[in-house]
Amino acid sequence: MESLSDSDIMEKVRDGQVEKLAILFERHHVKIFNFFLRLTGSHNLSEDLVQDVFIRILKYRSTYEGKGKFTVWMFRVARNVHVDHLRKNKETYNLEDQFEEPESEEDSPIHALEQKKDKELIQRALSQLPVKKREALILSRFQDMKYKEIAELFGCREGTIKASIHRAVKQLGEIYLELQGGVPS
Amino acid sequence: MTCKNTKEKFTEYLTGQLSNKEREKIQAHVAECDECRRELESLTEIWTKLGVLEEERPSARLSTRFYSMLEQYKQAEEENFQKARPGFFSRLKNLWPRKPAFQLALALGMLVLGLVIGNVWRVIPRQKAVNTALADEVQTMRQTLAASLIDQDSASERLQGVNMSYTLVNPDDELLDKLLSTLNSDSSVNVRLAAVEALYLFHDHPKVKQGLIDSLSQQSSPMVQAALIDLMVSIRERRAVDALKSLLDSEDLNPEIKDRAEQGIRRLSF
Repeated sequence: MESLSDSDIMEKVRDGQVEKLAILFERHHVKIFNFFLRLTGSHNLSEDLVQDVFIRILKYRSTYEGKGKFTVWMFRVARNVHVDHLRKNKETYNLEDQFEEPESEEDSPIHALEQKKDKELIQRALSQLPVKKREALILSRFQDMKYKEIAELFGCREGTIKASIHRAVKQLGEIYLELQGGVPS
Repeated sequence: MTCKNTKEKFTEYLTGQLSNKEREKIQAHVAECDECRRELESLTEIWTKLGVLEEERPSARLSTRFYSMLEQYKQAEEENFQKARPGFFSRLKNLWPRKPAFQLALALGMLVLGLVIGNVWRVIPRQKAVNTALADEVQTMRQTLAASLIDQDSASERLQGVNMSYTLVNPDDELLDKLLSTLNSDSSVNVRLAAVEALYLFHDHPKVKQGLIDSLSQQSSPMVQAALIDLMVSIRERRAVDALKSLLDSEDLNPEIKDRAEQGIRRLSF
């Protein structure tokens, strides 16, 4: 017998067993953290946003209908949390205090430095993409989400999502090249 | 395939959601068409480049914050529930009609209702007993299954057993003992961590509480130690302070765990 599905657990949370939210937290918080981290580039901010997601899940638990995949519902909450954050803080992220984590020890210093630069550059390029494109790209590249699920999450057609991801990758390449000091093709 | 058709499939090509046949079609087209090949190459390059943004772990602070938020929410809920009770009775009072005629009608209505219920009542208990017996049986079955899975040799089966105990409302002493001994002596860190989570759900049980406190001194893996410390803090188990203090005395304690244990002691000593 397999363990309970996310949806079953969320229904229990909705019906009053709020402590069961701990299971959903353990299953998904790393995933949502990384979604925010790639979206914003900041560790601290991403942790705050994850906390907000779970506060909202509790607050709006009665609205959970159990239709569709739980992760789609969860990422809908996550997107709203991020959009609200952007609305409140109109300034862009401070790129200076990002990537404050120490690099892993095995890497040689030069290799580590190069990797860090690479990471910073791609993150900077990503942060220049319009929010919706950035979200769709991150969800399909890193969160293993199917187009159908992303479309459901965004409330649009599958074809629109595919086209939007295509354009996002293309645009990201151009921004990246520009930041590198090259000439956009 | 036309250029337009090909380009439409680029996203699926990147995410690997194409069938072999469709992949081959695209490869055949880009072998002939320079423009499409260049575009696919540059898309693939940036797509691969994104891989440098590897998955990272949030700091331990995130879990601590989540568990204390959950604990606070639960407490607030319980308080609200208790406050809500008198409100319920006063609302009930408002339902009582003011006019004597309506009062009489209501009283007669109640009488009839009482008679009907009285009749039905004689049948229901039996049905109810059957239902409860069935629910009990399912519960016992799950319990036995979880317990037997926990005894297996393979870690994934033991993990399944531990996860299954999440679904139980009132696990019996035997299963709780098994979960506790899994927590203390299972060879796999993952299984031990899952046991921490499962036991969190049953922390109200006195045996579990004591078992969790005792377990602190028996853990060698920093991850499990961290999970236990966080759990103690989130359930505000003050009796854990002594156990945390003796943990600090142990030799070669991981510095991060040392910090966390000290933090835990401070938070529990309020």
